Amino acid sequence: MIGKIREACRQVEVDAIIGYRKKEGEPREILHVFKPDEIDKITFSPLSSNNPARLLMEILPTMNKVAVIAKGCDVRAIRELVKENKIDRNKIYIIGVSCDGVVDYRKFRRAVQFRLNEIESVELDGEDLIVKANGKEQRFKFADVMSEVCKHCPNPTPKDYDVLIGEPKEGKEDFSDIEEIEKMSAEERWNYWMDIFSKCIRCHACRQVCPVCYCEECLVDPVNLAISPMTPAEEKASYPRVLGKTVNSSDNLIYHLVRVLHHAGRCARCGECERACPMELPLTKLERKLWKVVQEEFGYSPDEDIPFLSKLDMG
Amino acid sequence: MSEPKIVVFACNWCSYAGADLAGTSRLKYPENVRIIRVMCSGMVNPAWVLRAFRQGADGVVIAGCHPGDCHYTVGNYYAKKRYTLLKELMKFVGFDQERFKLIWASASEGKLFAEEMTKFTEKIREMGKQEKLRRKIE
Repeated sequence: MIGKIREACRQVEVDAIIGYRKKEGEPREILHVFKPDEIDKITFSPLSSNNPARLLMEILPTMNKVAVIAKGCDVRAIRELVKENKIDRNKIYIIGVSCDGVVDYRKFRRAVQFRLNEIESVELDGEDLIVKANGKEQRFKFADVMSEVCKHCPNPTPKDYDVLIGEPKEGKEDFSDIEEIEKMSAEERWNYWMDIFSKCIRCHACRQVCPVCYCEECLVDPVNLAISPMTPAEEKASYPRVLGKTVNSSDNLIYHLVRVLHHAGRCARCGECERACPMELPLTKLERKLWKVVQEEFGYSPDEDIPFLSKLDMG
Repeated sequence: MSEPKIVVFACNWCSYAGADLAGTSRLKYPENVRIIRVMCSGMVNPAWVLRAFRQGADGVVIAGCHPGDCHYTVGNYYAKKRYTLLKELMKFVGFDQERFKLIWASASEGKLFAEEMTKFTEKIREMGKQEKLRRKIE
């Protein structure tokens, strides 16, 4: 598979390639902007979990053409950004990869027996993941270490690509875990979420890493309105403060509700927020609930050309 | 029990004029209702609603023109969309979503506005104080 990806990279004329490279001292793979002469360093495995859409959006203004290695969810994010005129589709070349699901690195670290810096390779074989280190190997079920969002992925094969690598696969959008929460009573649900959000430390990592959260100035954290010694009192009093800076569970809930509402019909369900969260909160549950509403109440399909929030529903 | 506080975001062209009509025609509606005039119901940010709850409101109402009557043609459709999304999320996290309401009231419907406010206030009074999102001083 890596061979095919490198081959596809060699056949296009681009300024840069966004792909994954191995991190030193650890088996995980991280995003990297490769020059065309560095193609041999590109790797791809179930550990290539990050979403390149945001990086692509940031480097694109300085380049003429960029190739990007993208999985199903990455293409969902890229399509969303194309819809919102943040990425010019003509300036990118998508090397679509049919994805088997990615590894949740935290689960992986707990399951693996070797020291992380000794791991030589991580490969997928049917339903098992094989980790090789020091001539020994460990096998475990891929489903046990798979990222939570991948279990509900609607299309593991990208819907838009210039070249596809791997066999096309069918996915199914299923909201079984959301429905389970919906079955609880209101009080149970409140306690469930309060328990989760009492752990949130409001580091804003979920916002920072999200491919569709690209506003320069955020409603919950207005940087341009920072207070300096020169700021007069009247001006300070007129600053819009939607949310307090306190970290109690109900304030955290407001933060997450506002954040999620801004992603209505735009979320790519790539799971970056969950991956970035230092407290391991199940943030995609809220996002996916909103998708359920968007699809069931408004009948919006992600294939439409108009962004959900600017679409007018006269019904 | 202390009196409930109700915040109403009323659109300048229909609902605010409707509330005004209720006043000029001497219709009584509860004094718990505090009206904030906005230019359009479509400009009501869901974050303001949550902020109102955080600052101690027991109920929040968004009042706008009837569909098709918006001064800015489509503002109330956007209001409806945001309302639905926020309401569903509130339900999902277990917040008492009955405390949040959307009504359509035109400038000639002073009576309807007064009735809706009375009904809503009664309901909130029954439900009691809103403690879930209220700011906690620790």
